Formats: sequence, structure tokens, C-alpha cells
Amino acid sequence: MFSLNNHLELRRVTISSLVTCIYLPSIITAISYKGVLYSVGSGSSFYILVLIFVAELVKSFYLSSSNEIQAKRSKGKTRAGDIIKSLGFLLGITFCFFLGIMLFGAPVLDKHEETLMLSSLLTLLTVFPLVAHCGVEPAVQLLFGVKSFNKDTIVAMLVNNALLTLCGAWLGAVVIPLDWNTPWQQWPIPCYLGALGGYVLSNVLTVLKVTMMSGANKYKFLNFFINVINRLHISK
Amino acid sequence: MREKWNIILYLIWFSYLILSAILMFGHGFLLSRKTLTDVSECVGIESVGCDEISSDSAACNEPEKLERILNNPGSPLVCPSTSKRVVLILVDALRYDFTEYNPALENPLYYQNRLPVIHNTVKKWPEKARIFRFMADPPTTTFQRVKALVTGSLPTFVDASSNFAAMELYEDNIIDQVTKNGGHAVLLGDDTWDRLLPGRWLRSHALYSFHTWDLDTVDTEVDSKIYEELKKSDWNILLAHYLGVDHAGHRYGPNHPEMARKLNETNERLERIIEVLPSDAILYVIGDHGMTETGDHGGETRAERTAAIFAYYKNGFSGIGDEIAPGREIQQTDLAPTVCAALGSPPPSPSLGNVLLPLLPKMQTTTTLLHMTNNLKQITQYLVRYGEESQQVSLDRLAELINSTRDQIEKTANVKSHDDVRKYVADVRILIDNIRAVFREVWVEFDSLAMLRALLLLLLAIFFNWIIAEGIPMDRIPHVFASSFVPTGLISLAICVSLCYMGYYWELFEDLESAIILTTGLISGAVTGALVILHWDGISQKWYETRTLFYERFARSALFASAAVLVSNSYIIEEGAVLSYLALSVLGLVAWNISSFKALGLWAGFGFVLSLTRPYRGCREEQGDCWTAGDNLHTGQASRAALIIALGSVAAVVAVARRQVSWRGYGIVIAGIFTCAHWAVGWGSLGSPNRSRLLARVAWLSIVAMFGLLLKRDRNGPTTPLIVCGLLFYLANCLVLGASYAPTAALALLSGFLILIMISMMMKSDGTSKTSSSFRSSSSLACLWALVASYHFYGSGHHPTLSHISWTPVFHAGDPNYSTLGPVISFILLTINLFGMPMMFGATVPLLVLWGRNGASMGPRSQLAAVFSLCLKFSLCFAIRVLASALSATIHCRHLMIWGVFTPKLIFEYGACGAALFGSLLGAALTAWHLPSQHKSS
Repeated sequence: MFSLNNHLELRRVTISSLVTCIYLPSIITAISYKGVLYSVGSGSSFYILVLIFVAELVKSFYLSSSNEIQAKRSKGKTRAGDIIKSLGFLLGITFCFFLGIMLFGAPVLDKHEETLMLSSLLTLLTVFPLVAHCGVEPAVQLLFGVKSFNKDTIVAMLVNNALLTLCGAWLGAVVIPLDWNTPWQQWPIPCYLGALGGYVLSNVLTVLKVTMMSGANKYKFLNFFINVINRLHISK
Repeated sequence: MREKWNIILYLIWFSYLILSAILMFGHGFLLSRKTLTDVSECVGIESVGCDEISSDSAACNEPEKLERILNNPGSPLVCPSTSKRVVLILVDALRYDFTEYNPALENPLYYQNRLPVIHNTVKKWPEKARIFRFMADPPTTTFQRVKALVTGSLPTFVDASSNFAAMELYEDNIIDQVTKNGGHAVLLGDDTWDRLLPGRWLRSHALYSFHTWDLDTVDTEVDSKIYEELKKSDWNILLAHYLGVDHAGHRYGPNHPEMARKLNETNERLERIIEVLPSDAILYVIGDHGMTETGDHGGETRAERTAAIFAYYKNGFSGIGDEIAPGREIQQTDLAPTVCAALGSPPPSPSLGNVLLPLLPKMQTTTTLLHMTNNLKQITQYLVRYGEESQQVSLDRLAELINSTRDQIEKTANVKSHDDVRKYVADVRILIDNIRAVFREVWVEFDSLAMLRALLLLLLAIFFNWIIAEGIPMDRIPHVFASSFVPTGLISLAICVSLCYMGYYWELFEDLESAIILTTGLISGAVTGALVILHWDGISQKWYETRTLFYERFARSALFASAAVLVSNSYIIEEGAVLSYLALSVLGLVAWNISSFKALGLWAGFGFVLSLTRPYRGCREEQGDCWTAGDNLHTGQASRAALIIALGSVAAVVAVARRQVSWRGYGIVIAGIFTCAHWAVGWGSLGSPNRSRLLARVAWLSIVAMFGLLLKRDRNGPTTPLIVCGLLFYLANCLVLGASYAPTAALALLSGFLILIMISMMMKSDGTSKTSSSFRSSSSLACLWALVASYHFYGSGHHPTLSHISWTPVFHAGDPNYSTLGPVISFILLTINLFGMPMMFGATVPLLVLWGRNGASMGPRSQLAAVFSLCLKFSLCFAIRVLASALSATIHCRHLMIWGVFTPKLIFEYGACGAALFGSLLGAALTAWHLPSQHKSS
């Protein structure tokens, strides 16, 4: 899926993934040291979302700085309108996630705050990087498979991140019914942490893959691992 | 098309294999016992005459009367004249080695040396205190143990009686013996007792016992009451059930500081109780079972079975020599007759224990003998009655036992000296031990060989049929079934059965049923295996060529996951949520594969429909929160809103559906109208129950008539009859679910409909018609359909526990017991109530193939092949789930929740599997019947 041809893009992808691999685990470590890891569901942990938002925004600036010529072209009057449009779109997506999570079995009548935190996290990790990178309309087109993304390394990475994040959140729900009565089985902590875990895992895989691809010329056996990782990427 | 009926025969054959294997498993695993409602009666000593002719009781004094009773083997049970009060302290999971005290131990473990009071008391007053090993019989779960302790019997999982779903105990027991004679009982602690014996208590302070992580609440509550109660004198038996030790074991295991704390508390408690114990009361402190080193119980290891019994009485116990040695092993069945003897009552009628003299106050020889004869007479009566009611124990054996007890009773007259008494008591104990061993064999021991064989047969059938369903290419299926494969198989089955009969006739073996199941299962395995080998080239070719899509693999793994989680009790308890989660995920991936707004909308609609069934989902005891909130309460009468919703749902379904099914729509409308009328007329205080029942009967009549009319061949192929069949099942479900749950049936129908639309959309998006038949019978669709069918068992308000079986559907159309077909009708109604959803979804499986234009465009042969393949896959899904629950029951046969969670799940899964097999068979048969017979394509 990734091509070695565009070295600049590949470097950007690697560095941004590396940054993610560092900053997200540090946030989690920090809050677990402070002893508030299990309060991620409540509104008081909103600052985590803000941190992630800022980090992803910075990353997306870094990722799209190559498209400066394009960016300059589109700069101008529409900038403010774009931001408002994106924000509205993100809010809509958050609401969709909110409803979808409820369909999957989250409590309908109570715990709205927790569900909302989870859905905003999912929005931040899945749709927001896409929107920040290529704008609202291409993102919509990508989401519904109108446009193919196979050529674009960065978009491929972002879509992979999004899918693995959703898988992580999905898998996180596995531990909820167990009768262990531990504090981390409270809704939505397993799904929240699962989403973060899926996101970090996806980034780790990206870094690994790029590393191995660059080494594969020398050591042929690395191709095997690359194939394994390629299989982990979910595609239709 | 010769293969048409061969296909149906093959599906019947497959269903037989699965169902018979599970039946065999059940015979080895589910032990059953017949409960008798007899009550032991005794006559007071004062009403006994001095000779048979005159009932003049003033003519002689009491010792003479006793003499006379003992000399007359035919005399009735006579109440013992002395009665004491009894304090029964049940310390849950008090293992025997918790009570031992060894001062030489340097580093005692957390559970050692924590109860010095017992050791000290026994040492100080060997006359006044006893400590014995108190051997429990498996299953060592608290509920079964409590039942055993009060009745003196050996409870099994299914205590078959007229009303087996209720918790209440209908057998004679200690508490009933007390209250029957005007005595009073007081209960403190675990509410198991209150559920088992409601309404018998003078005062009851029962507390919810299912919070196994709460170590203290119940104990402190009991402590706050028990000392006051001990001061009062209005009770005859005081029962206190402490749960802390058991809960500490479950949560931390025995070797943990918390266990030491709970045992120390118990020690202080016992010291205080011994201090304040009234002088006319006997104290028994018992454990109902032990625990393993991990703190679990339920099985039959020695650690689980060895509980402790400590007895204390201020005026001293009887018994000498070996009988009173500390640590002697006594059976838990002995407690009931002993306590009853202490209270002055006869032993409870179902008791199989013997009276233990070392635990009774000192008494004269004649009184001792009176207790012994009472005990023997009660057991003789029970043997006679059990032989009348059940054939579990062979009559020869019962007759032998009855004769030996009668002989023993006759010997009573010759017993005079102390040595004679000792010998007599020992003889009686051996005799009763023998009797108990005979009953234990039929009631208590798992037949592991039968279980293993059954699992292997199930595995064999599933394995080969899975290869047939997945592997054999679609174009070969008509040839397979046009060949002599099915007749060969059926003839070999017939040969097997006849050989088994011959063997049974010549008495080569005893168990005809298991022989037939075993040989037919093996021979079917061989025949299907031969088929697989013959077609191996095609199978390997197909597997090599096809590339499965991600969502198909995911659907299969979702089904396996839904089966695999049956090993965990928490997932079984929350299975409704698990199934809806998985079904929604599978459909989500299907929608993702189509990737259009319409598919997304359909998926959201499906999710919304599943969420709408959520309020109807029942609540089971282990779920805690909702149980204590009272969500489990079934209100008999539907509320006004529920009635309106029910009427609206039926009306909407009928109105939408009737146009699509041509003339058959009229029958559906009639049945629907009568269903609505049945609810409306019977509703509220002004309703007329009689007319309502009549209307229900008319509705049933029209449903059955419409089923009969399904035989009329349809010109346009089988789609319309299948839809009608689904709608009829829907109406039947509505009727048995009653007005308050009827909307769930409509929601189930709607969810199935949404899936069908989604599938036909997928066909359009895929386009290619060449692969359509193999695509439309893909296993992912079968898995999805099976998941949804299993979900709607929960969605319609059921839960796999025996106490959730509701009996109202049997009586909604009048009491069927008045008619000759009564048992059959009530069985059918109950089955539809519980498993109507798997049946409805099973009957509509062929629609997955035939729905939409694309399905109809296939030739009849390939249609039939696809329907067969899909039906087999759907049945396999349920067979796999049943296999998983049988495996989990085998793995967990010594688990704490085996009788509460795993076994009921196995029974219900078996029922659902049977219903699904029946349903898919019906669907396949309808398809075969209505398919046009001329060849369009080959």
C-alpha cells in the first residue's frame, strides 16, 4: 500500500506516527500516575481531548505542509468558512458516533456524559485527522468509498489509523460483561482505552513497516513481516 | 427432480443426529429425581391404646405402651415424647479443617487454628459437645445443600414434580414438621431459605445473598438479631445462616487474611452463643459444604464435600465409644432425622438418613429404639411410595431393600441389653447406608462415558456436515442427492437399528437407546465421511479457488465467538447484549461492504429495532441491579399503553403484509383480527375472560387452517408460501407471548425484513449473477440469521433460567388439560412461547436465497441446492452453539454456577436448536413442495 517512491511523504508519515507513539502513551502514563485514569469517562477529563486535538492539529499541519502550493491556492476568503464547516461536520460525526454507540448497547437513558466523551474521542482519532488533512468534502468522499485512496500514502495511513481505532474500541467492549467488578470495567473506560490502544498500535505498525521496508533491500526476509503487517490493514 | 425429497430426508437425518447426541448427553448429565409430596405423620403416645382392640389409653402407663409399640412391627410412627428446642447455625462453606486446632503449629495458614472455641469446648466437656466431619453429597452448591439438609434427601438438578419451575420446596422437611405440629421457626440470614420455604416463619429476617463480593452485610445483620432471638422462648427452631466465610472463599480463596478475619469473627460469635444458649436448646453449627483451595465449590472433590458439624448441649449427649470420636464421618442426610428427633417429630418423609444418637440428648433404651423404628418405618414408606411413582430403581432391588428394613423392624422386639442396642444401631446404620447408596447411584453420579460419547458423536456430525455444506460445489449438490447416497445412508441406519434390537432381544446389552444412538451416529459419520472422500477433488478445488471476503470471515468468527463465550458465566448472563452486539457488528460490515447511504440507513434501522427490544429484555437474578429494582416482576395484565402498542403492531404487520401474499392474505387478516380481539376483549376488569379464550381458539384455528392451506401449490414459486409461513409463525408468537410482549415479535419480523432488503441490495451492488447462488448461500448469511434468531429469544423477554418459564401461554386459550390432547397442546404452546423466534427464523431461511428478483431468476435446481446448503449451514450454527454449551457444562461440572447458569443454558440451547432444526426443515420442505418441477436449466 505504501510506496517507496515518494520519500518526502514517507518521512512525514514516519515522523508523525513516531510522534503519536510518544505523545499518546505519555498522556496515558501521566494521567495514570496522577491516579485519574479511571475518570476518563467523565467530563472532568475533557483536557485529554483538548491535548489530543492540539496534537493532531499540529500533526496535520506538519503532514500537509508539503502541499503548500495547493494550500496557498486555496487560502483566502474561504478559510474561515472551511473551519466552520469542518467544525459542524465534526459535530455531526460526533453525534452519529453517539447514536451508533447507543445502538451497539450503551445505556440509552443515562450515562450520556460518558458516551459523549467516548464518541468525541472516536471523532478526534478517526475523522478529525482526515478532515484536517484533506478538507470536509474529500473526507466525506473517502468515508463513503467514492474516492479511492490507494495512491496517497498519507491518506492510507490516516484511514488505517481510523479503522484500527474503531477495532480497538470494539474489542474494548469485550471485557464489560465480565463479573470481575474492577473499576476499569465501568462504561466507557475499556472502550476509551481500547480506542487509544488501537490508535497507538496502528501508528506503531506504520513505523515498523516503514522501517522494515527501508531495510528490506538489504535483508530479504523482512518482506515476510511486511506482508504480515499488510494483512493486518483492513481493506475491502 | 428426484433429489427434492432426498434433500429433505437428509435434513431430517442431520436433525436426528444432532438431537439424539444431545439427548444422550442429557441422560449422562442431567440427573433427575421424582419428588413426592407425602408428609410423615406420627401419633401421640397418649393416643396409643394398650392393645389392638381397645383404644382405652388410660389402662397402662407410658413405658408399657412403648414396649407394646416396639413389639408390634405394624404399628404406626409414634411421636417421641421428649422435645427440645434447636438452634441451627449454618456457616456457609465451613470446611472441617477450619475447625481443627493444633497448638503445635508454628506458622498456621490463614484458615488454620482460627476456631479454638470448638476444640476447647470438646476437650473441656466431652459429654456436652461433639465435632464430626459432615459429608456433603454433590452437587455441593448452597441451594441444593440447603434442600438436602432440610429434607434429608439427595437433591438432583431436576427434582421433577408437578411444578418444577418454582423455587418452593414441596417435599416434607424439618421446618414443615415443626410448623405442622404448632411449633414456630425463626429465620435469620440467607434468603435462599425464604425462597425455598416461604410463609413458614414466625419471624424471618432474610437478606439478598447474591452479592458474593460483600463479605459482611449479611453477617452483621444476623449478629444484630440473633442474641435477642436467643433470649426469646417462642420458637422451636432458630435458624441462622452466615455467608461471610463462603463469600471470602469465593472472592479471595481460603488462604487469605480476609478468611482469617471471617473465621475469627465466627469464633467470637460461637463463644457468645454458647454462653447465652438456653438450657433446653441444642446447638448445631454446621457447614453445608467445603471449598477447594481456590475457594470454589459445586463439585465432588473431598475438600468440597467435607464440611463440619459441631453440636453443643448443656445437659449432655448420648453415645459412647467410637461413635463420639471427634472427626468421625457422618452424612448430611442424617441431619434432618436427627433434628426432627430432637424436636419430637418423625423424620421427614423423603429423608434417607439415619438418626444419630451421639447428637441427641441422653435417653432411655426404649426411646432410643423408638427413634430407630420410626426411622426405619419412614424409610420403608418412602421406598414403597417411590417404587409406585417412579421406575428409576428396579423393582427387584426395591423389594429387596423393603424386605430387609421390615426384617430389621421385627428384630426390635428382641433388643434388651445395652450391647444389643449398640449392635442394633450399627446394623440399622449399615442398612440405611446401603439404601442411600442405591439411590445415590441413580441420583448423584454423572455418567461420564455417555457424556463423552455424546460429545464425540456431536463433533463427528458437525465436522462432516460442515465439510459438506462448505465444501461441495453448488453445481454438484443436485447430483449428490439424485444419486443413491441418501437411500444408502437410510438403509444402513435401518440395519443398525434392527441389529441393535436383535442384540437387545438376545440380551447382549441392556441399554437399547444409547446403543441405537451410538451405532447410528457412527455409521452416519462413516457414510458422510465416504461422501466427503468421494468428492474430495471438488471440495479441494472449491477451497483453493474461492477467496472469502473479510465480512464473511468476520461473520463466521462472530458466530464462533457467540458459541465460545458460552464457557463464561458472565457472558451467559449478559448474552442478550452480546448477541445484539455481534449481530449488529456483522450487519455493519455487510453495510460497509455495500457502502451506500441506503445501506447505512438500513443498518441504523436494524440497530434501532434491536434497541427497541431492549426494554422487553428480561432480568435474571444474577444481574443484581435490575433484579433488586424489581424489573423481573411479570405483571399478569398488560397496561393500556402496552395493549395499544400490541394491537397497533399486529394491525400494522397484517395491513402491510396482506397485499403481498395474494389470496393467502385473507387468512392472515382473519387470524390477526381474532388475535387483536382476543387481547382487547380480555383486557381490564371489564373484559370477559371466557370470550377472550374463545377468540384465541378461533385465532389458533385460522392459523392452523392457513398452515394446512400452505399445501396448495403456488404458481409463482415458493417465495409467497414462505412469507406466509413466517407471518403465521409471527401471529402464533404474538398469541403465546401475550399482549405485553407481542410487539417484540413484530420487531423481530422487522429486523429479519431489514436484513433481507440489505441482502438483495448487496446482490445488486455485486451484480454478477454467475456467483449468485453460491453467494446467496454463503455461510455469513446463515451465521447472521442464526445470531439474530438467537438474539430474539432474549429480545422477547426470555432468559435461560427455569424460573423464567412462564406458564400463562399454556392457559391463554383455556385450560388444555380438559381435552385428551392436553399434554401435547401445552407442550406445543410452551415451545412456541420459548423458542418461537428460532422457529420463525428457521422457517424463513430459504427466503435469504429466494428474496428479490435475482433469487427467482435462478433455475429451480440451483435454487433448491442453495436452499439446502443454507438450511444446513443455519442448522449447523445452532448445532455448534449447542456443542459449545455441552462442552462448557462438561468443563464446569464442578463450578459454583453449574446448576444455576450453565445447565439451564444447555437445556434452553437444546430447545432452541431443536426449534431451529424443525423450522429450517419446514422451510426447506415448503420450498421443495412449491418449486416448479419442470426443468428450466440444469
